[in-house]
Amino acid sequence: MPVRVSARQVEDATILDVVGEVDLHASPELRKVLLDVLREKPAPHVLMNLQGVTYIDSSGVAVLVEGLKTSATVDGRFALYGLGPEVREVLELTQLLSVFEVYENEQESLRGHR
Amino acid sequence: MKLLFKLEVPSDPQLTTVVRSAVKQFATVIGFSEEQCRAITAGLDEAVTNIIRHAYRDRHDQAIHLTCRGNDTALELILEDAGGPADPEELHGRPLDKLQPGGLGMHIIRGTMDEVEYQRLPGGNRLRLVKYTKPKNSEEKCP
Repeated sequence: MPVRVSARQVEDATILDVVGEVDLHASPELRKVLLDVLREKPAPHVLMNLQGVTYIDSSGVAVLVEGLKTSATVDGRFALYGLGPEVREVLELTQLLSVFEVYENEQESLRGHR
Repeated sequence: MKLLFKLEVPSDPQLTTVVRSAVKQFATVIGFSEEQCRAITAGLDEAVTNIIRHAYRDRHDQAIHLTCRGNDTALELILEDAGGPADPEELHGRPLDKLQPGGLGMHIIRGTMDEVEYQRLPGGNRLRLVKYTKPKNSEEKCP
C-alpha cells in the first residue's frame, strides 16, 4: 500500500497520521512532510501516529531519526505512538527503540506520559 | 517437499512491495510463523534496497534476480545483480552507538537472517540469505 501522510492539529501538537508502507519508494515523501512540519514554527510539538504503518524499512527509520535530530535543533518535541510489531521490531533491531519517546496511543502521547 | 520460485524485477523502488509480498507469502506457505515472516521480509527488503542504492547506484532500470527455495526447515533466498561491488565496510554495517539516519540496512539483514553470504561474481554480486524455522542444529539441511 503506498504511504499516505496527513497532518492535523490537536491542542498544541501537530499529529502526522501515517498509513501504509514506509519503504525506499515512500520514505522521501514522509521525510519532506515531517521536516516541513518541524521547521514550520518555533519549538514544534510533533507526534507521529504509526498505527496505520504496515511496514517500515531502514530508509523509513532514517526519516524518524532525522526527525528526532531536527526537532532537537529547533527546540521541539518529537514522539511516536501506535507502534505495531512491524515498526517495533525494526526499531529494536537497530537499537533505536529506546532513543525515541514512544507511547501506546494518542492520548498518552499528548499528555507526554510513558 | 522442496518449493522453488524465481522472480526478476527491475531495480525500481516502487516494486519492492511486490517482492516483499511474494516472499512473505512464500515463507507463510513454507510454514514460518508470522513473526518469522516479518523478519524474512525485512531482511530480504533491505537486501533489495542495497542492490538498488549501492550496486546499481539508484538506477531504476536494472535487473534483480531472486531465487527462493524452501522446505519445512529452512528458506533460502539468493539475490543476484549485475551492479558494482559492495563496499566491505558497508557489508558489516556501521556501529550503532551514534544516532544518525543511515547505515542500518546490514544490521537488519544480519539481525533477521540466520546466514548471510556475499559473493562478488564476474560482472555482479550474489547474496545468499538463509532463515531456519528452528535454531540451526547439525541435522538441519538448507533446501
